[in-house]
Amino acid sequence: MHAGVDRATRFVVASMCALFLAVAHTTSAQEFDYDPARPAALRACDDLRNHGRTPDARACYERLLSSSTDDATQAEAAWAIGDVRRANDLFRAVVQAEDNAVRPKVRWGRLYLDTHQYGEASGLFREALDLAPDDVYAKLAVARLMSETFDGDARRLVAQIIDKGGDKVLEAHLLAARMDLDDGHYGAAERSLQRAIALAVEQKQPPLEAYELLAALDLLRGDRESRRWIDKALAYNPHYGGVYETLAHYEVMRRRYTEANDWLKRAVEVQPERWSAQAELGVNLLRLGDIDGSQAALQRAYSGDPFSATTVNTLRVLDKLKDFAVERATSPDIVMRLDRKEADALRPYVEKVARESITTFSRRYSFTPQQAVNIEMYPNHDDFAVRTAGLPGIGLLGVTFGYLVAMDSPSGRSTGDFHWGSTLWHEMAHVFTLSITDHRVPRWLSEGISVFEEWRTGPTPGIAVSPRALDVFHDGKFLPVATLDEGFIRPDYPDQVQVSYMQSGLTCYFIEQRWGFDKLVALLRQFTKETTTAAAVEATFKMSPSDFDKELAKFLNERFAKYLADPKAWQQAMQAAHQAAGESKWADVIEPARRAVDLFPDYTLSGSPWLLLARAYDETGKRADALGALQRYRELGGWDPDALRKLATWLDEAKQPQKSLEVLNALTLIAPLDASLHAQLGERYNADGKAADSLREYKVLLALDAHDNAAANFGIARALNSLGDRAQSRRYVLQALETAPHYRPAQDLLLEITGKPTQ
Amino acid sequence: MNPVRALLLTLALATMSPAYAELHVFVASGLGGEPEYEQRFQQQAHALAQAAERAGAKPENIVLLTGESARREPFRRELTQFVEKTQNDDQAVVVLIGHGSFDGEDYRFNVPGPDVTGREIATILDKLTAAQQLVVNATSSSGAVLEQWKRPNRIVITATKSGGERNATRFAQFWVEALTSPDADRDKNETVTVEEAYEYAARRVADTFKSDAALATEHSRIEGGAPARFVLARLGESAALPNDEALAAMMKEQSGIEQQIDALKARKPSLPADQYYDELEKVLLTLAHLDRRIDERKATLLGTQAREIDDPKTR
Repeated sequence: MHAGVDRATRFVVASMCALFLAVAHTTSAQEFDYDPARPAALRACDDLRNHGRTPDARACYERLLSSSTDDATQAEAAWAIGDVRRANDLFRAVVQAEDNAVRPKVRWGRLYLDTHQYGEASGLFREALDLAPDDVYAKLAVARLMSETFDGDARRLVAQIIDKGGDKVLEAHLLAARMDLDDGHYGAAERSLQRAIALAVEQKQPPLEAYELLAALDLLRGDRESRRWIDKALAYNPHYGGVYETLAHYEVMRRRYTEANDWLKRAVEVQPERWSAQAELGVNLLRLGDIDGSQAALQRAYSGDPFSATTVNTLRVLDKLKDFAVERATSPDIVMRLDRKEADALRPYVEKVARESITTFSRRYSFTPQQAVNIEMYPNHDDFAVRTAGLPGIGLLGVTFGYLVAMDSPSGRSTGDFHWGSTLWHEMAHVFTLSITDHRVPRWLSEGISVFEEWRTGPTPGIAVSPRALDVFHDGKFLPVATLDEGFIRPDYPDQVQVSYMQSGLTCYFIEQRWGFDKLVALLRQFTKETTTAAAVEATFKMSPSDFDKELAKFLNERFAKYLADPKAWQQAMQAAHQAAGESKWADVIEPARRAVDLFPDYTLSGSPWLLLARAYDETGKRADALGALQRYRELGGWDPDALRKLATWLDEAKQPQKSLEVLNALTLIAPLDASLHAQLGERYNADGKAADSLREYKVLLALDAHDNAAANFGIARALNSLGDRAQSRRYVLQALETAPHYRPAQDLLLEITGKPTQ
Repeated sequence: MNPVRALLLTLALATMSPAYAELHVFVASGLGGEPEYEQRFQQQAHALAQAAERAGAKPENIVLLTGESARREPFRRELTQFVEKTQNDDQAVVVLIGHGSFDGEDYRFNVPGPDVTGREIATILDKLTAAQQLVVNATSSSGAVLEQWKRPNRIVITATKSGGERNATRFAQFWVEALTSPDADRDKNETVTVEEAYEYAARRVADTFKSDAALATEHSRIEGGAPARFVLARLGESAALPNDEALAAMMKEQSGIEQQIDALKARKPSLPADQYYDELEKVLLTLAHLDRRIDERKATLLGTQAREIDDPKTR
């Protein structure tokens, strides 16, 4: 996963919430009403349903629906048979008739929760709590809502319920167990589930939810079959897909999408009308690149649950994705799905970065991809977000699901907002770390290697660490390596995910610097089997994780000594330089900018002192120094597109055309849809006698449908002629002249091709 | 009429007739509000005035109003005089740069002091009798005057599609670029027509919004006239040349070849691709040879060296 939007921090908006969003909805359905106040008439029907006697249960609920005189009972019966509209109408009638009743509001809200209408659910729960602030089931409903929307402290609320006399509330223990499992607190989850089982027996409640969570606990503890609790669940109800769906949920959380698929298929096999499982199957098949299978599953989900935003959004994105151009490359096998409008313009560069990354990582990690790598690029960020998490609004740039990479297209963001080439490089590294370890690699190491490879082998070389990350380290708040995953999965402060990316990258960098790159590979390969970070670190480096942490700290203190000695000194220098620049006092910029650069040369992100220094030198007539500053900036990983354009111009003016060409070429990985860049590159390559490269650039220019198509057609014709393809060259030059009959260079080429010299 | 043919006719006229219709240009930049805008608007206005001169407008036929000189009364007075001075055969170009506003009733061009309203400008422009008229309103909310200012023989360009597009516009910047660089000259004939300039500027505006991944807050519009026939800028050697019979004859021949190309292009959908390109090639080769003779003649007339056709840089 590659996070970040803002150039200031590169990893700013990322949030692991995306991962939770991607998986949370699958467990949202409210199936069991554990409230003792549930009418007895319903309980008889519930019992049939809970044991998998679906037709009998349905008949039972239908009888209630037609015979009961209680609107609330009828509403529950309608909900149970899937007639949610009728249930909604009936609940409304109940609430209107009895505005002070708490339970109908809670249950009506749960219906909304079940149908993913969180705003309405929240309103009803609030009304219920206004009437009865201590109502346990209203509080539980709120906790469920918080848990599903990641909005609020559900854990604390559940703990309060249990502590304040709610120890016998079965649902509270189940919800606590679910959250503990999500957070990796297996011991606590187990205790909650044992209590839940006991309560279920005591209260004659269905134990299915407890069974499914116990099965998940076994799975997470390494029992890949989880037979014990699956068998118990299916013995209780042979058509209970929930147990499989929950197992799939935890596989997805561990990024084991193939395994999740197996569970989901079993879920819908035993319970085809389990719409949440159908939806998750659709989403998960999409993660694995099975577009047709995904669509079929999502359509089944939609037929039963048309209210799911995830299902509807994903179906819409699938419609778009099916219309994408599919471009294939071989050796290595790469499949690119690109929006038709930009496919011709992007394909050469996407393929180039993908190829180079596969070659590089295959060599470095001694691993050959076992199947084609699929790359999808979305011009619309919300489409990417839906494709990734089922919902719009996530702050990620790219996501990798095994052999499938999905990411924002360069056209989806403002030029300079992100370096798409580096993002793709990052994601391709994930393809390797996930595949090598069969998805066992911990999040921190996978992200760490991806960040590290961006720095060491990617298109933006340089240790692009943020001052914020160093400040956190300086304050002693870097997480121990053994628990570094927590920084991604359970952040304690708002930007901890971004800091964790940096810490992980720095950790990999440290390993390389201290022991050599092979040790990093060795650490990764520890995860080809089930293990923990602590054990892997111990086995690889023959030292305890805490000693490793001390060594890392020592390394960072040396590597960033000047900055860490006094972080405020750097900030003061930056402030002084920026202030002088803001007042156009360029002579006054130089000293503080040089100081900032000296204290922290690696800082090439937004507002880099290198850029100020270059501008200040240039403004004060020191072009050679300015050029040197920009060159150093680029060497250290700086990639601001305006700065690179200026660097290319200055290099030309300094009679260094080859270096200028390199810089222009680098810009294609930042601003590939800039027509003028391709026109420039096409001309440069032609002048250098590199016809094939010139041809590529002019073809891209033509694909961009720029204003000056005659120039693009002529450029293609000229390159083809140089490559010996006279027939195609003739066609393109005629197309150039069709638009611009007086275009002299094209006329010259036509005369040359046709062998008719000027008369 | 095909734009290329029309352009060549215009060029031929430009070259052959000493009584060539005069180009009159009126450029006004309004209130910037902020120093950055003020400076930008003035620079754009000056660049357009210079481009007008390069296109053949006599200095006395160029009116440039910026800053205080663009106040309402001077603006009205200068525009009225501009209109009165312009003759029936002339080309008249009016360009407004800056901020505009629309209150639902009328458009206002924001100048120092009281604004000038769209109706006032329309009333003055109603007296314009020039055969070819171009009015470019590059201000915000300029779309409000599109219908109001439209007249026969007049092309009206606005930076926005309606009065509701109120953000500061980017159109003027690219309109200036279109007239001051070769980038807009799509057919490579060293002149830029209104059509070429408009399409270039509109595309560049759209590109910048795309590049910023921002919702476009302006959508330019063009209405009326024959924008492909209206030559706005001349590049390189296409500046006015002295009378020359030989050159006139060649230009006439060139026009005839252009007509053949037009006719062939019209038949393109009905012809097999190979046949179309074979026929096109023949005509284009004839044109290529003729263009070389024209270049040589022009060079002789201008006293410069003929273009070095074997210049490796053009290969």
